[in-house]
Amino acid sequence: MIEGAGLAEVEFGPIVDTFGGAGGEDSARQFGTYGYPIRAMKP
Amino acid sequence: MTGVAVDVARLREEIRTKYVEVVEHPDTTFHFHTGLRAAANAGYLDGWLEGLPKSSIASFAGVANPFHWGLPRSGERVVDVGSGTGMDAMVAANAVGVDGRVIGVDMTPEMLERAREGAEEADILNVEFREGFAEQLPVEDGWADVVISNGVINLVPDKLGAYREIARVLKPGGRVQIADICVERPVPESALRDIDLWTG
Repeated sequence: MIEGAGLAEVEFGPIVDTFGGAGGEDSARQFGTYGYPIRAMKP
Repeated sequence: MTGVAVDVARLREEIRTKYVEVVEHPDTTFHFHTGLRAAANAGYLDGWLEGLPKSSIASFAGVANPFHWGLPRSGERVVDVGSGTGMDAMVAANAVGVDGRVIGVDMTPEMLERAREGAEEADILNVEFREGFAEQLPVEDGWADVVISNGVINLVPDKLGAYREIARVLKPGGRVQIADICVERPVPESALRDIDLWTG
């Protein structure tokens, strides 16, 4: 999707357990939901 | 608009209500972490937050670290998509210094008001906050060196439209540094239509 918008060189950084210990942890675990830093550039 | 599975107006209202609650009652238990805990969990360095208003930090609800690959550089122009109460925008403003500029964009008037108050309290003059949607950024073409965002695109119904807008406001060679959540397993169509799951 990001590349489809005209951006390039998409890269994901280290995974973050965003919801671990928070109220949404159960729902997050259900779908495997985690946070990531993401970078890309405009050619 | 593409990829929309919910009533957009209702979704935006639910998001507004949820995040205004975060601002007004940051110590409440939410489905996500807030404040310093959220910042530490995401990997923010303590030094980035020095001098920022406690109220801006308390209502921070980011999901990861858009500055993982580094802060914006001196003199750069930055757009923060979904700037909330402005913590990331103020971190970026301090990084770019007096020769740089930051525009925070948020759809919620209450957030914009708090962000402006926070910047004034911290005496940060190179940041401004504008009302708008991620899919219609109130920023001119090719203005930004860097676009940041934290935990926002996942809440935008038209994600491709938001990324197209990010590409539009970037200069050629400009960078996107966002943080967001991703799912490892397919989300059922019924869940995609469930606004409660979008917002919490």
